Amino acid sequence: MISLSQTDKAAAPRPLASAVTATLIVVIPIALALLCFAARLHIIELSHAVRAELLFALLIALMATGMPISIALGLSVLTYLFILSDVDPKMVGLKLFTSLDRFEIMAIPFFILAGNFLTTGGVARRMIDFATSLIGHWYGGLGLAGVIACALFAAISGSSVATVVGIGSIMLPALLQNGYPPRFGAGVIATSGALGILFPPSINLVIYAVATSGMQPHGPDGAVVDSASVGQLFMAGVVPGLMLATMLGATTWYRAWRNDYPRMQRSNWPQCWRAFRESFWGLFLIVLVLGGIYSGLFTPTEAAAVAAVYAFVIAVFVYKGLRVREVPAVLLKAASMSAMILYIITNAAVFSWLLTSEQIPQSMAGWMTAQGFGTVVFLLVTNIVLLAAGNFMDPAAIVLIMAPILFPMAATLGVNAVHLGILMVVNMEVGLCHPPVGLNLYVASGITGMGIAELTVAVLPWLATMLIFLVMVTYIPAISLWLPHILGML
Amino acid sequence: MWRLLNLLLDRLEEWIIAFLIGAATILTFIAVVHRYGASNSAFLERWAAMHGLVILAQASDRIYISLAAINLSWAQELATYMFVWMAKFGAALGVRTGIHVGVDVLVKRLSLPARRPVIVFALLCGALFTGVIGTLGGIYVHDLDPDQVSPELEWPSWIIYLCIPLGSYLMCYRFLQVMWRFLRTGSEPHQSLGLEYEAPHADTLVGEAAE
Repeated sequence: MISLSQTDKAAAPRPLASAVTATLIVVIPIALALLCFAARLHIIELSHAVRAELLFALLIALMATGMPISIALGLSVLTYLFILSDVDPKMVGLKLFTSLDRFEIMAIPFFILAGNFLTTGGVARRMIDFATSLIGHWYGGLGLAGVIACALFAAISGSSVATVVGIGSIMLPALLQNGYPPRFGAGVIATSGALGILFPPSINLVIYAVATSGMQPHGPDGAVVDSASVGQLFMAGVVPGLMLATMLGATTWYRAWRNDYPRMQRSNWPQCWRAFRESFWGLFLIVLVLGGIYSGLFTPTEAAAVAAVYAFVIAVFVYKGLRVREVPAVLLKAASMSAMILYIITNAAVFSWLLTSEQIPQSMAGWMTAQGFGTVVFLLVTNIVLLAAGNFMDPAAIVLIMAPILFPMAATLGVNAVHLGILMVVNMEVGLCHPPVGLNLYVASGITGMGIAELTVAVLPWLATMLIFLVMVTYIPAISLWLPHILGML
Repeated sequence: MWRLLNLLLDRLEEWIIAFLIGAATILTFIAVVHRYGASNSAFLERWAAMHGLVILAQASDRIYISLAAINLSWAQELATYMFVWMAKFGAALGVRTGIHVGVDVLVKRLSLPARRPVIVFALLCGALFTGVIGTLGGIYVHDLDPDQVSPELEWPSWIIYLCIPLGSYLMCYRFLQVMWRFLRTGSEPHQSLGLEYEAPHADTLVGEAAE
């Protein structure tokens, strides 16, 4: 990735090459659509497999033009339906409504809203104070406190970006003030912020549950395999989240110890207690959401709605970080972010409905078993594909497109749906921390003013830690499955 | 005049969306509180009666009766519909504010003059898709049985489904508007992703290279 961003700088776009590429970008999707049309008019005959490949080729070609992923998904489905199949295209319009017409999906806007209230509401600062009072006196104390604060904040907000914005915008200036090098601070926060999508509540885990729900693939023994519920996934995310936080913390500590970075003064117990009491209202949200879901008090969607209202109350009335007249702006921001994700969800739902009705994942799974691929190879290929996709696409879009394809294949091999979900999310975390689309890097760059190329180098030690963690999560299913298992949820 | 109408449309869009997300959140919250209020007051009544706390038992009985009298089973349905409407209109707003994420790695590497036709093509595709969906949705709504109602609220289905053609056509209009603005002023549809810290994407890198 580093080499890529450096060649970016070195090679100025040549006018001719640019013109040729631009022409190709526009001509290829049109040519593919014409190819479909030719097949319709029986000028050329296409086999079933070629049609499926044509669908994917069209999707990739459309996405390459830089149009919204949701539009590319919808347009390729529409072309396919109109031209290559006998399904009534009017169904697409209905499908765009009914795919959203489900109460579980509403957890996503609720969690986004809660996250937006929390980032603006002074919760982050109190969590940072609490974490600093606990371990600030260790080597790299403030950096470690950053990891812990990110983990705590991740446990109340469902997104990485909210975590990096919430913690980073306070923590990064503090780190610089206390004499830490900018690279160290940016590296810690940009990577720890990714914990946001692993720790429950996680918007990406909800998206995974939504993308696979209702699918009924067959397991290795021929029995129908259930998809994972949001509750199961949330509980499964706890242990991996704690592990990754510990590993990132260890990396932080090691680098601080070797370079002898400054330590904070040890806080006494009354100070710790006061910091805890101050941050209590924020921390209580963790208990409310996780406890509520686990005890069966709330469904995940209800927990999300309660979290949103609770976050509003503590932001406006308890911590007073947000004024009442600023609330409409927060609502609007949360609404447009949710609408963007929901729009991808609707179009991805139509896409996966088409895949299912054309039996594409099943035939891919069949091909895989025919080749004699085992679980080990499948998981390896899955990781490589997801990491590669992380170079181009937003995590939500990747999960929505890949989960319906991967889940039936995983089921055929006996890979647990919950394990697959956690694995996908850890892959997305890695993608968030490296260019060209690593959102966390852009947020960190916005806060520190460092360039993306420099940040790429800055995050390397932590990124390496994450990759080691990814291998562990991939090949030790117990990390994800142990907790839901002993809670009797699996 | 035209500008004024556009401005009005922008504001209206924003207010509708902010209202829908806020109202749906409060509605769902109230429904949850109501359900637990009812079941817990019933529980409290039994517990108080068992321990001979007559006043407490009567009070919780009264709370239970008044809570149980309110039927909130429609709340979940209404909240869901509000979110679907919010999503459809929010998607249109997203075109205007450039919040829809795309894969722009390739496009950002092109030189500025070469980028123009690609961006116009992408925006046209967006307008084409949303226009087609709007029309398909319109046909669907038109063909719906006017007497068909939703399960809980018993509102006419065609009104509820109206968000598909309305939202899609509005989105189509937004795509054309963004394209028109781009052709006239060259202001690229940026991707802000709704962050305080605007994500510059590969902009800065390519920008440096272009100089």
